[in-house]
Formats: sequence, structure tokens, C-alpha cells
Amino acid sequence: MLIAQDLVKLFPGVRALDGASLRIEPGSVHALLGENGAGKSTLIKILTGVYRPDGGTLSVGGVEVHLDSPQAASRAGVGVVHQERNLVPEFSIGENIVLQRLPAKGGLLDRAAIRAEAKRCLDLLDLDLDPDRRVRGLPVSQLQLIEVAKALSMDSSVLLLDEPTTASTPSEVERLFEVIRKLRDNGTAVLFVSHKLEEVYELCDTVTVLRDGVSVLESTPLADLAKQDLISAMVGRAHSAVDLPARPAVTAEPVLELSAVSTAAGHRDISLSLRPGEILGLYGLVGAGRSELAKAVLGLSAITAGELRVRGKAVNIKDVRDALRGHRIGYVPEDRKEEGLFLDQPVTKNIAVAVWDRLRTRIGGVSAKSERALAETYVERLGIRLSSTDKLVGELSGGNQQKVSLAKWLAAETEILIIDEPTVGIDVRTKAAFHELIWQLATDGLAVLLITSDLVEMVTLADRIVVMRDFHVCGEVVNDHEYEPTSHRVMGLIHQDAE
Amino acid sequence: MTLQVLRRSLADQRTGLVLLLVLLVVVFGSLIPTFFDDRFVVFPLLRDVATLTVVGLAQLAVLSIGHLNIAVGRMAAFGAMFMGLAYEQWHLPLYAGLVIGVAAGAAIGALTGLIITSSGVNSFVVTLAMDFALLGFVSLVYSELTTSAAFTTKPAGMQELRTFSLADVCVGPVCGTSAIPQLAIFAVLAMLAVGYLYSRARTGREMLMVGSNAVAAELSGIPVDRRIVGAHALSGGLAALAGFMLAVTSGSFTATIGSEFMLPSFLGPVLGGTLLTGGAVSIIGTFLGTSLTQVIRQGLTMLGASVQSLSISLGIILLAALSLDRVRQVISERKAVRR
Amino acid sequence: MITLDARLRSNETTLAVVAVVGYTALVVTSGGSLLSGSAIETFFAYLAVPVLIGLAQLVALAVGQMNLSVGALGGFVACAGGVAMAQHGVPVWLAVPGALALGAFVGVLNGLLVVLTRINGFIVTLATMTILTGLQYELVGTTTVSDYSPVLRDLGRAAIFHIPVVFLVALAAAVVLAVFLRRAVPGRHLLASGGNPLAARLSGISNNRSIVVAHALSGLLIGVAAVVTLASAPGVNQSIGGDWLLASFAAPIIGGVALSGGAVSVSGTVLAAVIIRLVDVARAQFSLNPSWVNFVVGAVVLGTVVLTHRRGAA
Repeated sequence: MLIAQDLVKLFPGVRALDGASLRIEPGSVHALLGENGAGKSTLIKILTGVYRPDGGTLSVGGVEVHLDSPQAASRAGVGVVHQERNLVPEFSIGENIVLQRLPAKGGLLDRAAIRAEAKRCLDLLDLDLDPDRRVRGLPVSQLQLIEVAKALSMDSSVLLLDEPTTASTPSEVERLFEVIRKLRDNGTAVLFVSHKLEEVYELCDTVTVLRDGVSVLESTPLADLAKQDLISAMVGRAHSAVDLPARPAVTAEPVLELSAVSTAAGHRDISLSLRPGEILGLYGLVGAGRSELAKAVLGLSAITAGELRVRGKAVNIKDVRDALRGHRIGYVPEDRKEEGLFLDQPVTKNIAVAVWDRLRTRIGGVSAKSERALAETYVERLGIRLSSTDKLVGELSGGNQQKVSLAKWLAAETEILIIDEPTVGIDVRTKAAFHELIWQLATDGLAVLLITSDLVEMVTLADRIVVMRDFHVCGEVVNDHEYEPTSHRVMGLIHQDAE
Repeated sequence: MTLQVLRRSLADQRTGLVLLLVLLVVVFGSLIPTFFDDRFVVFPLLRDVATLTVVGLAQLAVLSIGHLNIAVGRMAAFGAMFMGLAYEQWHLPLYAGLVIGVAAGAAIGALTGLIITSSGVNSFVVTLAMDFALLGFVSLVYSELTTSAAFTTKPAGMQELRTFSLADVCVGPVCGTSAIPQLAIFAVLAMLAVGYLYSRARTGREMLMVGSNAVAAELSGIPVDRRIVGAHALSGGLAALAGFMLAVTSGSFTATIGSEFMLPSFLGPVLGGTLLTGGAVSIIGTFLGTSLTQVIRQGLTMLGASVQSLSISLGIILLAALSLDRVRQVISERKAVRR
Repeated sequence: MITLDARLRSNETTLAVVAVVGYTALVVTSGGSLLSGSAIETFFAYLAVPVLIGLAQLVALAVGQMNLSVGALGGFVACAGGVAMAQHGVPVWLAVPGALALGAFVGVLNGLLVVLTRINGFIVTLATMTILTGLQYELVGTTTVSDYSPVLRDLGRAAIFHIPVVFLVALAAAVVLAVFLRRAVPGRHLLASGGNPLAARLSGISNNRSIVVAHALSGLLIGVAAVVTLASAPGVNQSIGGDWLLASFAAPIIGGVALSGGAVSVSGTVLAAVIIRLVDVARAQFSLNPSWVNFVVGAVVLGTVVLTHRRGAA
């Protein structure tokens, strides 16, 4: 049994958890739900000893514990199956399962003991896998089951599964569920983190819903709750939506159209259109294929069927350079630190990098003066707060970094801008300023394709919302900027039972 | 107050290098009466500094994108081999041969870059294998085509390039100093060109961005693969130029040209503040780092140290400089956290 | 889908076939003279050091590091051992373990420097390589030390059924290393750190310790190579180890070590060393220029690298 009571976790400027509680009973499966940014992953990291809480208590099996390392968590009997793969590919299945304490005899591995222990764990799960087989080359679904076995090898009384079904086929999910049910029947307390409500209803007994770092529903029996109740608990009510001025109705011809597009990344039959001056929202759960769709538009994965039209003409975009120079399409990536910015470079270069061609002096070199002037223009226009444009981007705050990432594409004079999760990890005030900025850009005629998992943000900004699920479009919602009806329609589309 | 000054001077490695360099020159100068002899000490010293600065720039070119070039010395030998061929077999004039050799170096560098981008294997392994292949190939060519394992034909102008100093360059009655060799002009030109490339030219700036964050570079529309090939081609070309300078100094083109280039190629840039991870280069720093190592070499030699034992001090300097760099990094990280 | 096991096995089979076919071809073209006892002895005697330094590099690669100080350390340890015995009267039973310990000690230093300074292992070992080269010269200068332990030198020339003892030593080292990496707990930890550092850390394995252990073992194997050199070379001088660096990388790369760490093939490395030795023998047999060896080996390494690491296939 695991009890978490009033957990608090502070990050600079953010209360990631602000009184999160849950109680997982032995022999039951407990669901942890919440929108992106609600604090689920922070809670998981506390339960597995990666983060230390700034407040609250944690007890396992009735004993209060302080989990200050992953090993401590594992010793306390909390096993975890992470989202990332944590297996050594060159090792055997058996060795991976017992890696945390390799049995040895006289200094050498006791292979019989490894095999026996691995077999024991695999048998618990009714898995018929050869412990001597190498892990490399196994299908993803089996890797996951092996990780469950690995978590069991430490005699875990509590097992956490962090979104285990994102990359699985229905039959693989069914196999995993059988395993989880078997564990539950053997008395394990299971915590199941998922985005998919139908899976939660299929598998779980109780549920905790996190919103803004607080448990809004705590350890409630799932049988008492309708799907609508869960959705309401997750999305809550709109908080102080920014009051944005009305924008003129959009009448221009679409600048970007996808008709029945399939991609090498796995999208099927995607159709949508985007007009200048419009903000088109692309909503879906993590793993629905939104960022991947953006990258396909940029030519980073091949379009295998259907047609991509820019300004009415069918086009074949080769790469980002082509997208930018040939079609004036820009992309502000979700992960600004890994994909958007050059952290060890100054603000000037980060803003001007895509337009150095334009900034040449008469003898051909990039003019530092025009570069600085350009950077300063956008620093002022976007309200980026800094002492000098020579400052390294890595030294700026998250909000200012994100503005720099956006400024690069404005400086490049893009007419179609795909903005991916613009306000992740950004404090509330900057967020509002950012919303006004995107709103203003659209008013000025920019065509914006907005990808966000933040429903409030989506309802605040988008004119229309295209809802995606499993790499296809499952519906479109015209947004009237009324939070409750719109968010319920969107969530309804996502959670309608898959046929 | 003093802490701030300390921090600021620590922040710029080059300030430290200049101070250290001045200090060493003063110390050696006072210990060794002949240390400032322009013909027999300063002239050869500067000639070596010039050559090794170009070697450092050759390594810096690939460091800018976060790569390594283990074959920098052998690329020098490869380029120099073509120069020797041009003079001995094709009877070309000095500068035509130089152009051919540098082009050959650039071509082998570009090939290396192509292998890296098409295979996705890290640059260390590819340049190491290239080093092997060139080591064999270059010696084969020399033993097939020459009798004494060297191209010894000296085109017109080569001898002069070796011995002439600025004293031989006169504007009216005013002549330059006899301490500065004419060969150094190549290093100055190379520094200017490379400096312009990385600070002003789009191509060079994009190389730095590739070194800083290759994914972001790709998503910003930079042709990453082309920049990688370009950086390796530049490295090969500069290595060949260094090979030419060494051949001019020694008087002949042999297969062993460049065999001592590997360590200095890293010493100059790394001491001068060029990051191994890419994204930042310092051309002046490379010159200062190279000068520092050569001054130490020269001073210790004149004080009676054996040539080989010098490498002990150079190795220790390298480790010390990098550890200091690490300390610097920790300090600035702490500073960033405190903010 | 071919599993790695099968791929490794097929890689090793290919290497073995190439080695056997190459050897047979050389026997035929030499008119059988390669089958004489002395020819076999020479063949294997010159194989001992390449095998050992290849293994020394393999251990470093296994944990995702590299060791540029292979040659410099080998030369330094060999010279230190020679000088200790010849000039300071250190008995051979003390000098040999001393040399091994010295190699391992410098290896530990390499590892500690990498772990503590967090400087790239490439630069650390480049620096220690430079220092060791200087130290080696300090020890022997321009002289060749050869008047040491006749016992050791006899051992260096000794052979059992025409298989030189020094080669058996190298083979024994390979077997011990293979057992260590396959069966010993620290060996498995080392490979886990090389294969998936994150998984290793979450399983309570110290990646830092793995790095130090790998460098220590690398140094120890170089110590063995230095002792073998002391025993079998006509003497030790400043040139010992000068041509080891490239050779140390060639054997593991051709032998199929994943360069990103984690996957190793001891037998592949040994077989690759045999093949490189065959190239050398062939070169001598046809009186070709020695440079052919480097050229062929370089081309083969480049070819191996390009063929096995197609982008996206990894």
C-alpha cells in the first residue's frame, strides 16, 4: 500500500505540486489522470525517488519513507516502468531483469540463479520468454513486459506504470492489461498513468485526478464516475481567460491545405486548411502525431499519399530550408532547448540565423550592424527583456527564450507559422503576454497553426480546432471561445470509443 | 571588487594567455641572454609558430562543428605530396603547386566529411581510418616515385620563402624587421580568412550553429550535411597549407611531413578557448595558444631541456588548462544558478 | 530480423574464414615454407603485442571511452621495466608484476582524470600520451636497453610445439578478458554502462566506477604488452610503442566492436589482429613496400565502418 499525503514540489517560479495526495490499495489498479502540466510526471518522479518533495509525506506499507534515490525507492518496494526504455540492448532478458542485483558465485555470474530468478519474474506475468535471449531486436511490446518483470524482481509491492500504452497496438495493450490484472490479483498495488480514458475504465478500480498540482479527485472508486465527470475534473473551469480583442473575420483563400495526406511517419488521411489571419488549433493527446505532422509539412518526413497545397499550388517540400525560402513556412518547435535554440550563442545570432543572406554588406559578409538592428527590432516588438542582445540565449528565462525562438521566424518573414506547445514551462503572466502576441500576429495577417496540449490556451486562441488521435483527424470544432462547451466537445471527440 | 576583476579576467581565456606569454618571455629573456636573438631564435620560433598556428586552424575548422580530425597531419602530408609532385614531375611554379596541394587537401577533407555524413559514424573513427589509409598511400607514392623518399626539386622562390624575413621587404628606405619570417604571411592570411569566415560569412556562421545544436540548425533551414563536409574540406585545405609551410622550412617534401601535427593541432585551439563540443572558436586564441607552447618549448630547450622531455610539460599544460577551464565552467554555472 | 548474436557470430565466422583462407593462400604461394616450425613461431610471436593492444583498446571502447595513450604507456612501461632490471638490479620476479601494476596504475589515473574533470576522454588520454612519451625518453634517452634478465628473454624466445609462449600469454589474456566481460559482475556492470548509461544508473550501477575500471584494465593489458615486448624484442628504446596507436584501434573496429560502447567481441578482435598480421606476412612474402600494410588496413577499416554503420541502420 502506498499513501502520498499533501505532496508539494516547488520549481523556480512554479508550484509543480501543491498538495497532491493519493492512496493505492494492494490488489487494485489505481489510475492517475491529468492534463499535460497538471503535475503527473512530477508526482511520479517523487514516488520513484528522482525528486525530493518540498512538503508532504509518503508511506509504503504503513511505514513513512524518504525516497532520496531511485535505489531507495526500489528498496522500499516501489517498482517503476518508465516511459523511456531502460534496458541494456546487448544483455540477455534474464540479466536485464536482475541487473539491479546480479547474482554471483565466486566472483562470476551465477547464470543458473539469473535464469531461475528471471523465470520466476516472467512466470509471475505468464510470459513465455527465453531468459537467455538477447534484448536487442525484440519488439517494443515485449521490451515493456520485460521492464515490468524487471520491476518485479525487486519484490515490489507497488508498481508504477508511466503511460505504458502510448506506442502499443491493441493486442499488445491487451497483453499488458492481462499482466497487470494478474499482478493485481496477486496483491500488488498498481498505479497506472494514462491519457486514454477507455483504457482507464477497462483496467482501473480507483482514480486520482491532478489539476494544477492538486488532487481534484482523490482515490475515488471509478465505478461511481461517468466519463463526463472525469473530463470535467481534468479540464476544470477556465481560469481568468485573457480578454482578447475581436479579430476581423477571415475570408482570404487558404495558404496551406492538406488533403487526404498520409505520411511516412504514419499519418492517415489528414485534411485541413489554414487561411491568412487565422489561428488553426491542432489538439490531441501526447502521441497523437501533431508535431510529427508539422515536421511532415516541413519535409522532414515524406508525404506518401494525398496533396499538400501552399497558396493553392500543389508542392513538394524538400526540407526546412525549402519550406522557409520557397514557401515562407516556419516552425517553432516544442522543445525549444533541444530543437529551437542555440543556447550557447547570443540572442542576435539566434534571431538572425535564418536570414543571414539578407544581412550582407556590399562586400558580401554578414553585417554585424544590421544583424544587431534586426535583433533589436524583434526584441522590442516581442518585449523580450534583456540587458543586451549579445547575451547568450541560455542565460534568459524560459519565456524570453521562447520569444527568441519565435522571433527567428518573424525575422525570416514567414507567412505560415507552425507553433508547437509555445507555453510549456512558462509562468502564467508571461503566458498571457504570449497569447496576446500570437493573437496580434494573426490579426496582422500571419497564418498560425497552433499545436498545444493546454486546452485553456487552445480555447483562448484558436478559431477552429482540429482534433487528432492516433495519427488521424477525428473531428473539427469551431471555437466560440467559451471554455466549457468547447473543451467538452474536444474531449468528447478524443474519448469517443474507438470503433 | 577584486573578486569581480578575477572573475572577469578568468572569463576571457585570451587575457590570461597574453599575460602568461609576456611573463614567460620576460622570464626566459632574463635567464637566457640570447633569447631575443632575431636571426637564430626569434626568426625560427616565429616560423614554427606560423606553421603550427595553421595546423591549429585546421583542427579548429572541425572543432567548430563539434568534430575531430585525427588525420590532420596525414592530410598535410597528402597535400604536400601533390605539391612535391607538381614541382618535380610537372615542373610547375611555386604558387601553382601550392594551389594544387591545398586543393588536394581540401578534396581529401571533403571526402572524409562525406563519409561521415553518409555513414553517420563519428568523426573520430572516420578520420582515424583515413589516417591509416593516407599513411600507407602517401608513403607508397613517395617510394614509387622518388629515389630518396623525398621530392627535392625546389621551384623558384622556395628558398627565398624559407630564409627571407620582413627585412627583405622594403618600402622605399624603410625595411621590416629581420625577426619576422616572410612565411608568417601565410599564417596571417589564413587567420584573416578563417576569422572572416567564422565572424562574417554565412557559411562559417552556419558551421558554428551546426556545432552549437545540429537539430536546431536543421530546423532553422541550415544545410547541416553540407556544412559538415565544408568544415572537413577547410580542415584538409589548411592542413595542406601547413604541410607546405613545413616543407618550405625543411627544404623538401617527404612522407613524414605532418607526423608531428596531431598534438599541436589540439594544443593551440584548446588552450585558446575553442570548445571541443563545437559552437565557439577563437582564432586569436589559437595563435596565442600555439605561441605559448612554442615559447615554452624554445625557452626550455635553450635552458638545456631535451626535446622529448618537453612533451611532459606540454601534456601537463594541456591537462592543467582544461582542468582550469572546468573550474571556470563550474564557477559560471554557480553564478548562473545564483541569479 | 537478424539478432545481434547471429550478427556477431557471423562477423566472427567471416573473420575466421578470411583468416584461414588468407593463411592457406599464403602457404600455397610460399611453396609451403610458411608451414615450417620457425615460420609459424615468427608468425605468432609478432601477433602477441597486436592482440594485447587491440584488447586494451577494446576495453576502453566497451565503456564508451577511448585510450590514445596505448602506445605511449606501453613504451613507457617497457622502458621502465628494462631500466629497472638492467640498471637498478631489480629481479625479474619483481619487475614483471611491477610493470603490470604500473600500467594499471596509469590506467586508473586516466580513468580518474576523466571522471573527476569530466573532460573528454580523448583529450585526457592525448595529454597523458604526451606526458608518457616524454617520460619514456627521460628513461632511456637515445640508448637501447637490452642487458636485462636472461630468464625473461629466454621465455620470450621459448615455444611450445612451435607456439611461442608470448602468444600463449596474449591468448590467455584474451580468454581472461572474455570471461571477465561475459561472466564477472564488474565486467557486466562495465558493459551495462557502455550499452545504456541511464539504465545502468537506474539499476544502481556507478558509471564512473565502470569508466575507471575500464581504463585500469586497459592499462593493465598494456602492461602485459609491455612485458611481452621486454621478453621478445631485442631491447627497449624510445621507439617502442610508437606505432601501437593506430593498430590498437584497427583490430577492435574490424573485429566488430560497436564504437558507441556496450557491444564487444574479444574473439573478433583477436581474429582481426590475425588478419592484419597476415597482410603483413603477405607484404613480406611478395617483398612489397611496408606502406601497403597501412594502406590496406586503413582501407579495410574505412570500408568496415561505412558498411556496418549505414545511417539509419544503427
